[in-house]
This record gives sequence, structure tokens and C-alpha cells, in this order.
Amino acid sequence: MKTPPFKLFQPKTIEEAISISSKFIENNEQFDWIAGGTDLLPNYKWHLNTKPNVISLALIEDLFHLDSTHIGAMVRLHDLANFADAHPIIKKAASSIASVLIRQSGTVGGNIALDTRCFWYNQAEEWRRSIEWCHKCDCDTSADCRVIANQNELCVATYQADLAPSLMVLNAQIHLCGPDGSRDMPLSEFFELDGIKRNVLKKGEIITHLTISDDADSWKGDYQKLSLRESWDFPEAGVAAAWRYSSQSSGKGLELRIATTALESIPRLHNNITNEALINKSTIDEIAAKLRLDVKPVNNTTFPPNYRKKMVEVLCKKALDGMKGELT
Amino acid sequence: MSKEIKGYRQQPGKLPFAKPGSGGSEPFSKLRDLDMIPESEGGKRPQPKGKNRHDHLLTGSSVGRRTPLVDSNWKVTGQAKYGDDIRIPNELIGRILRSPHHYAKIRSIDTSEAEAIPGVLAIETGQQHTDLFGVLPVTKDEHAMAVDKVRHVGDLVACVAAEDEATALEALRKIKVDYEILKPIHNMKKSLDDVDEPIHDRGKYHIGQSNVQKRVFQEFGNFDDMKNPHASSKEKWKFAGVNHGFTEPHAVVANWEPSGRLTLYTPQQVPHYVHRSLADVLKIPMHQINVHRTFVGGGFGGKSDPFPHEMCAAILARKTGRPVRITFDRDEVFYTNRGRHPSHIEMNIHVDDNARICGIETDALIDGGAFASFGHVTTYYNGVLHTAPYEIGSFHYTGARVWTNKPASGAMRGHGAVNSRCAVELGIDDICTQLEVDPISFRLANLLPPHSSTITGFRITSIGMRECLERVREACDWEQKFRKLPLGHGIGIGCGFFISGSGLPIHWDPNKFPHATVHLKIDMDGGVTIHTGAADIGQGSDTVVAQSVSEVLGVPIEMIRVKSRDSDTSPVDLGSYSSRVTFMNANAAISAAIEIREELLKATAEICNVGKETLVIGDRRIYQKKDPAVGVSYLEALHKAQEDRGALVSSGSYRTPPMGGVHKGAAAGLAPAYSFSAYAAEVKVDPETGITKVIKVWAAHDCGRALNPLSVEGQIIGSCHMGLGQVLTEEMKYGRNGSLLNPNLLDYKIPTVHEMPEVVPIIVESNDPEGPFGAKEAGEGPLLPILPAVCNAVYDAIGIRTNELPITPDKLYKQIERKMKVLDIKSPLDLPNPTLNHSELQKALDERANEHKIRDSERKLNTEREPYYNGTLFGKISTIPPEEQDENWTLSVTPSDEYLANPRLAGSAWKHQEVRHMNKGDDA
Repeated sequence: MKTPPFKLFQPKTIEEAISISSKFIENNEQFDWIAGGTDLLPNYKWHLNTKPNVISLALIEDLFHLDSTHIGAMVRLHDLANFADAHPIIKKAASSIASVLIRQSGTVGGNIALDTRCFWYNQAEEWRRSIEWCHKCDCDTSADCRVIANQNELCVATYQADLAPSLMVLNAQIHLCGPDGSRDMPLSEFFELDGIKRNVLKKGEIITHLTISDDADSWKGDYQKLSLRESWDFPEAGVAAAWRYSSQSSGKGLELRIATTALESIPRLHNNITNEALINKSTIDEIAAKLRLDVKPVNNTTFPPNYRKKMVEVLCKKALDGMKGELT
Repeated sequence: MSKEIKGYRQQPGKLPFAKPGSGGSEPFSKLRDLDMIPESEGGKRPQPKGKNRHDHLLTGSSVGRRTPLVDSNWKVTGQAKYGDDIRIPNELIGRILRSPHHYAKIRSIDTSEAEAIPGVLAIETGQQHTDLFGVLPVTKDEHAMAVDKVRHVGDLVACVAAEDEATALEALRKIKVDYEILKPIHNMKKSLDDVDEPIHDRGKYHIGQSNVQKRVFQEFGNFDDMKNPHASSKEKWKFAGVNHGFTEPHAVVANWEPSGRLTLYTPQQVPHYVHRSLADVLKIPMHQINVHRTFVGGGFGGKSDPFPHEMCAAILARKTGRPVRITFDRDEVFYTNRGRHPSHIEMNIHVDDNARICGIETDALIDGGAFASFGHVTTYYNGVLHTAPYEIGSFHYTGARVWTNKPASGAMRGHGAVNSRCAVELGIDDICTQLEVDPISFRLANLLPPHSSTITGFRITSIGMRECLERVREACDWEQKFRKLPLGHGIGIGCGFFISGSGLPIHWDPNKFPHATVHLKIDMDGGVTIHTGAADIGQGSDTVVAQSVSEVLGVPIEMIRVKSRDSDTSPVDLGSYSSRVTFMNANAAISAAIEIREELLKATAEICNVGKETLVIGDRRIYQKKDPAVGVSYLEALHKAQEDRGALVSSGSYRTPPMGGVHKGAAAGLAPAYSFSAYAAEVKVDPETGITKVIKVWAAHDCGRALNPLSVEGQIIGSCHMGLGQVLTEEMKYGRNGSLLNPNLLDYKIPTVHEMPEVVPIIVESNDPEGPFGAKEAGEGPLLPILPAVCNAVYDAIGIRTNELPITPDKLYKQIERKMKVLDIKSPLDLPNPTLNHSELQKALDERANEHKIRDSERKLNTEREPYYNGTLFGKISTIPPEEQDENWTLSVTPSDEYLANPRLAGSAWKHQEVRHMNKGDDA
């Protein structure tokens, strides 16, 4: 297993990074961004969509800033998990990612923009040749998707990162910077429902940081994760929930947000369910049952999809456990 | 330990012991009498564990001491050279082209484009190397590379030697192979049927037109008892295949040296069989080959076959005239596999109204993958290795191993015994639940005594099973926990039984050769060099052999040097498999050391002018037993012994005593001694998710005598980890198209440190009469009981008996849902918690267990004991073989027509006729 050779670029500022990427776009050259490398390099070793040029973000100091409302894209997951001022939900999610070694290297931005995964895709080159490739890495063969047969329109690879749902329920804003300038949006609008496109990042654009509003502290919540082993494994299902009483501000009473990950090609906020639940004054069990029906996992990770669906219900109940008695 | 350098840490050049000749670290040697317990320990009475033939050789030097492995410093300082660390100047990199198809004929291979790439020095295909090899002489079915067809995805097609890896990989992409795709078989049940193109052709020995590689039928006992059992447990099991998951991937370096001879550097468990296979495939005599065993980064049975890639490296090196190194990626390790067989096992256990096991009926269909490997033996082991430690009334076994288009299964720690043992132990637990008795009491009342024989005729010598069970029961607080813990929290028991060295060597044609041979050489420096071929694969065999010699000669282990790497300088040893090394190799080492010891005693007798028989050896000193002041130092005696001849040399060997029955397959499972173990596991199961967490394990293992308690405990803990993988998370998963879905260590789920419970190792020493200083194996047996212990604990926790491994949360949750449906329960938290109210049988069992306990200790100490045959518990005369006293006793190794009319799954393999018999039938 050998990483194919690539040219590494190490810009020191965001501007420099963008100018390098712009040049590649102009010359129609392929390139990848690399942050901690814990996702990209294993994929490169397996010759998954490798590029001849790689731009590292490791020397850009602006991306490392971390405080209670600002999380730089290059902040190490380990530092985030151990950051005293980080919101408890975020800390819990960050400390559950992969293993302690990987967290020392992996970054927040890398985790948010994690490549989607599928057991027909995350395999060695020889292996993928033996199934005649797949849609996500088709080696110019227009191969079909191996999960949902007879189509090569949609990739259903699963988004298996832990941080996104926790940030979503805290209403995090994501900030991007690219050749066309900077922009920002709620994290929940960042993802796009396709295992290949994955998110709204344009060519040459990077995540610079995430911001969390000042009032995040007034939200309580939890993150629950399903995985076979306590370390190393990507989540097979993840549910983040956050709630607060906002009587002092809007007089509406309880506010509730629930987001899931590792069940589809994107992490998702389930506002439809929570809004309805607040209106109908549903019980926790009812919310959990609805959440189960709202997710559509496919068979491409360790656990079978029907089990993951059932477990979403359990995870949701566990995540909302702290709210027991408060929902009436 | 030493007086000389107290206060120092060990530093290079600073010896932790005095110079030889000073009289050792203990100038005032002690009186010793090892046959009796000394006054200080409670008065003169015989040693309670019985006698061992090596008792008189004990010098107190190293046996029984916690000894760090003699090669550990190399490992912890990073200086150990594993397979891939061997770098020879001018080396080439070899890579292997593997089949992308499950099953296909090779029409043609075009290598011209690949050969034209600059930097590619050689490309070889299977066409030029058609000689078969394989670990078992009876089932040689492997080639260096595929000759006519490929049999699984990852099967070897061609190999390339190039200046660097990138060039080699590029060349692989340019090799054009024209395949004719055949219809693959992935389901082992389908392999029982006749097909157009069986995966192998065994000529006249082929079984019908099917993919059955090996079939076994065995019936022992009086089956009348079994017809109307008091209680029965019947279960159909499904076991997933598992891989060894060793750290070091396969790697090999081949170098044709200037002498014209081949040296093959390889991390091998059995260098000798590679040696033989290389000679076959390369067509050169064995004396032109030196097999060098590098440090081995874990083997567990996965490095015990001679491998095709080892042949490829040698072939490429011969063609290019340069050293060739091949190192595997992890997926290639999975394609090579040789892991535990995926199995379908049907296990029926019957007990009579006295709670005696009157019958075990086993039917095991095992999935061998594409090659035979050790499968011939595995097929037997799935049956015969559960005929003990319990006394049973009758035993019926049908087994079949079939070829499928998957990576080959083979030997893996606990070879063949693990899956069926798990099924037996769960069956017993199930029966105890039905009978409302305690499962530990049940087991204690059904054990074979020491110095007995099993229903299949295995000779049992020492047996520490009773002590294992009793000590585990006490350590885990069984009485307070079993069936008394709340829902989701449980405790379970499981036992194990394993061979300590296979009675027959694999290559038995030169039947008279010993199993193990050890040479010793001592020169004037006083240091002892041991030459042995035993392969240290991390289990500590170098340490054990060093300890044995150190013990006999009364010298510290630091004065011993073990040379075990090169076949050029090591005597033949059959290798590290079937848990044979400690038993056989240490026995050989002891007999070699005895020869030297005799020389030393003779020299001392001459110097001191005393009788040789009055002398004993202490720490680097040889002196009179009754007057320790009379004696000389080790070095003085040594120099005297060397006066006329220079260096002292000696040789010792070990062969197993004659034993066992004469029926077909009688040799399978035969061993000079057997190990026993009993584990209790405490688990927590979340009924809402089905996630099982093992929180503590109490692990008692009877290893005869712990020569090195440190490594025995290491083996127990390591076995627990490995077994936990198989019972909870590990599984070679095959997709709907037959592809192996998880050939990497992220998706193949080996438990991490978080999943590892606290393990309390309990060493039980039954002092085997024939083992080296009483020792038996501790390498494989300790794995067996952890699987059933965990499964039984899961039952205790949530009342669900599993019949499929691994118990992944999704599978367990499915069973939870099924049970909820049956009981009409809404929440899994309302599941009923199993309880136990002792029935009347309990008292009878306890009484019988107590009687047997007395019986056992008497048999152990009485050297005039009479024979004891299995069946005595059922009222037969203990001293006469049951077949000689029971008219209805069956001993059969072929099925009757009656059985064939309605065979079970694996038994249906007997519906086919062997080709040679078919022809005979035609003639008739």
C-alpha cells in the first residue's frame, strides 16, 4: 500500500492558499486540501480519487483560533475536546471521535468536511477492481452504485462524522473563503444530499471557522453515538439534541433541536419533528419514534440499516433523557 | 536476585550475577529434599501434586520464576528484525498480481507490456511452477501461482520483481489476463452438492463430483442410553469466520547467496515445512536451502502454512539473481487468511436422570475456503476435542469440510476446538437450566479423573479441571452472583480442553524421527549455547528452552544463548503449532541438559573424590547433598569435564509415547497431555441496544506447571482478548456477491483496550507426570472457555441464548425483539430475568462431586493405580475397556445405511462415493 506521489503546497496565509487554488482552477489542474490528513491520507493509500496536488492548511495561523464562540477550522479535535469553554455537547461529540491518536491530528474542519463512506468504496484498489469499481470512484468507467443497483445518478455513501449534529443543534454558523470571496451560512445549510458532492464548498473554497452564538450556554443537551467499539469506529448512528427555556426572551417556552448523523449522506437537523412536537406537546417517546421514521439509512456500514434505524429511537430517548419531566 | 550489584540498574557490561567460579550468588548452598514437603511447610509428607520425572533435576534456578522473555530487549528497543526489516543490498521489490474473480479459468496471460517497463526485472506466472505443495502431505493442493484456474478473489496469478514498489505496482496494472469466468460457490451448504466443476480435482480420492474436501464419521458408545434422555439441549449454531489479526503482515525476503544456496528470511511458525515445500517447488535438495526465521510479529496459526508468496520470492530471486522482498498489505493478509473456519454446527447433548451426559451428537459443516491447508485435521478436531473433560455415555460425530471460493481457512489458536467447545458448553448450561441445577456443580460431578481415557481412547494423564472450576467459583463470588444479578447484568461459566502437542507429527512418513531435537554446546567461557529449531513467535519458546537448561545445569538464564533462527544450524523442529513447543522442545532440552549434567557430576565426583550419586547442583555450584561444603564451582567442574575434549556438546530429543486407538482417525486429537481451563465472565448487556460489555473475567488454566508464570498469565490474558473478538465483534463479512467486505483493520473489528475487561489469571498446576518439570500447554487452550463463558453470561443477564457468533448488537437485538414478541412485552427493560431454584438433583450432584474429588486425589497420588476407562460413571467396570464389556457398544467410522437414509447437514457429505469406489462399484 503506497501513497501515490503528489506535490505538496504549504501556504502561510488564507490569501496565499486561495491564490494557489485559483491558479490550479485556471490551469484546470486537480488538487485536494489537506488539514490533519487522518481522512485524506488513508484514502490516498487506497488510491481513492487521488490528486497530483495537495494544499496543506497546517501553516495558516488564522485557522487555529479557538474561543467559546469561534472554532477555527484547523483546531485539533483533541484540543476542542479538552477546551474548558467549549459547550458540553461539543466536547462530548469531539471526545468520541475515532481514537486519541487520531484526535491529536484530526481537525474540526476536516471532521465537518469528512468524505462520505461506504464499504463498496473504502477499499483497496485491487478490491474495487474486483467489483468493477463503483459510482463514487468510477475510474472513468461510469460504474453503477453498488448499494442501490442499476443507477449512477446518486451516491448514497454515508456521512459518518460526529461533530456536525452537535454544532447544528447549537445553531453554529460556518464561514467559508474562496476565490469568489468569503461567505457564511448556518451549518445545517452547508451539506448537500449527495455522497460525492457532499457540501456547498466550491472548487478552491475552504472552511475558515465556525461561530457559535453567545447564548449557546443557555442550551442544554447531549450527543449519543452508536458504534461497535468505543474507540476507532466511525459512528453508525448519532443523535444530538439541545433544548432550553426561552421564556425570558420570546415567551414561547421550550425550544428544542435534534440533529442526526451517520444515517444518510448528510447530517440533518430535524426541525419538522421538533416543531411539531412542541406544538403537540409530544412525549420523548413519541419524538423518538418519529425520528426513527424520518431517517433513511442504507446498507453500506457495519450495522444493517434497520438496526441503525431502531437505534436512532433509543439514542434519541437517551439524548433527551436530561429533559425528562420538562416536556409537558 | 543478586547481591553483587545491588543498587544498580542493569547496564551494558554490568552483569547481574557474579563471575562464574565464584561459587554463585549463594555461597552457603542449602540442603534440599524435593520429594517431601519440608518441616517448615507443615511436616514431612509427599508433595500433594504427585511426582514428575524431572523433580530430581530442579535446582531452583529459573523454573517457576516470573522471567521476562529472553528476546524482549530486542523488541522493546526496536532492534528486533521482523520479516520486512531484513534489508539485503541490491534488493528488489516483489509484488503479486491477484485474481479479481471468485472463480475463473485462466485462458492466457500477456506480460509483454509489463516487462517492457524500465525497472521491471522479472515476471513469473504459474505455468512454469506446477509442483503442488501444502502443509499436510495428504492434501497438497497449492501452487506458487494459479496454474489453470483462480479459486478466490485474491488468489495469486503472477508475481513481479522490480527496482521499487511503484514500478512493481505499475507492472501489475499492465499484465493482461484473459479469464473465463466460472460460477462461484460462496455458500458452504451448496458445496455439499455435485457440481460441473469442483474447485479442486483429487482424482481417485475425490468425493463424488462435490466440493467436499474431507468428511469424518465417528460413533463411540452405547447409544441405548441416549434414546430416552431425561433432558436434552439441541441447537443449530452459526459461527462466522475470523482472522488471526496479527500485527505483522506476511513478509519474506529471498536471497540466492554467492554460495549458490538459497536463504529465505520469513516470519514463520513452522520453518521446517516451508523448507520442504521450497525444495518441492524449486526442485532443489533441502540442503541447498537455509530457512531463516525472523522475529515473528504474531502468528496464532496464521503463519504456519508454507505460503505461495514465499515460493514466489524464491522464484523471482532465482530469476533475477538479486534478493527479493515481498511485504503484504493488510488486505493481502486477509486473502491469505487461514483463519478460523466459518461453521454450521448442530449440537445435541443428552443427559439421563442422574444428570450424567449420556450422549453428545455433533454435526459440523466447516467452510474451508479455496484450499485444504490444515483442514483435514480441523475436520477431526471439531468433533474429537469435545470428548473431554466430561465423562460421556456415547459420542456421535459427523463432520465435513468443503471448498468454497473464499480465502482458505486454516489453523487458528484453539484449532478446530473453539466453535464446537462453545456449543457444548452452552448446551450444558441449557441443560442445567432445564434441570434447575448449578452449572458448576453439574460439571464437577461429570469430570473424568486423572490417569483415565476418553471415549475416543485419548490418554488423559494430569487433569486440573476440578481445581480450575473450584478456584474460579471462589474467585468470582459465584454463589452470590449466578442468577442473582439484576436484568442486564450476568455471569457465566465456560470450560476448555486442549491438546498439549499433537501426538503424531504432520510429516509422519519418516516415522522414527523425533518431534523435537535440541543441541547444547558449552565452551570454556561457561556459557551454554542452545541450538533448537523451535520457532519463537512471541509466545516465549526461546525463554522456555533457556529456562529448562538453566534449571538443570544450575546456571542463571543470562548464561544461556538460544540460537533458533537458521535451519542451517538448528536441528529440525516441527514448529510452533498444536501447542507443542513447551511440552516437546523443553523435554528435548532437558534430556540434552541431563547429558551435560552427568558430565559435570562425574567431573565433580573425581575432583572431590565422592560418589556421583551423592551430588546435587545448586546455583553455579555442584556439591554433596548432605554436606554442602564439599563441592566445586560450576566452572571448575566444567573445565575438568572439558580437559580431554574441549567444548562439551550434547543432544536431546523427544518423541511421544505410543498411545491411542487403532480406528481410522484415532491419531487426530491424540496428545501426550491435555490442558484444562475454566473461566467465569461477568457482562453487562444493554437490553435497549443489544450492546454487550464484558466487565471482568476470572480465568483459571491448568498448565501443568507454570515454568514462567509471567508468560502463562500473558497467554491467558491475550487469549481472552482474542476470544472476546470472536464472541463479540470479529467476523469476516462477505457481501451479497461473495466479496470479503472488511479486509482491513478498521472494518474488521478487533476489540480495543476499551472493550478489554479486567482479567484475573488463575494458574492451576496439576503437575503432569511427563511434561517438562510438569508443564503442559498454555498457548491455545486458554482461548476456548472465554467464548462460552461470555455467551452464558449473556443468558444470565437477559435470558437470551445465542446461537450465532459474533454476538454483535444488531443480532442480539433481533433476538431481544423476537423474545419481546413471544412474551408480548412492550419494553426490553421488562424482559424476565432468569432465576434458579435448585431442584432435588442439586444435592445429588454435590454429593457425587465430593466423592469424585476424593477419587481424583487418590488416583493422582497412587502410583499403583488401575486403569480407568470412560464409561465407569455409567456403571461399567472401570478397568476394562467399554467395548470389551458391552455388547451394544458401537465403534464405527463409516455411516450405516440407516444413517444415510436421513443424514444431518455435514453427514450428507457421506452420500457421495469416492471416485475410486465408484469405479469398483461399476466392476461389480
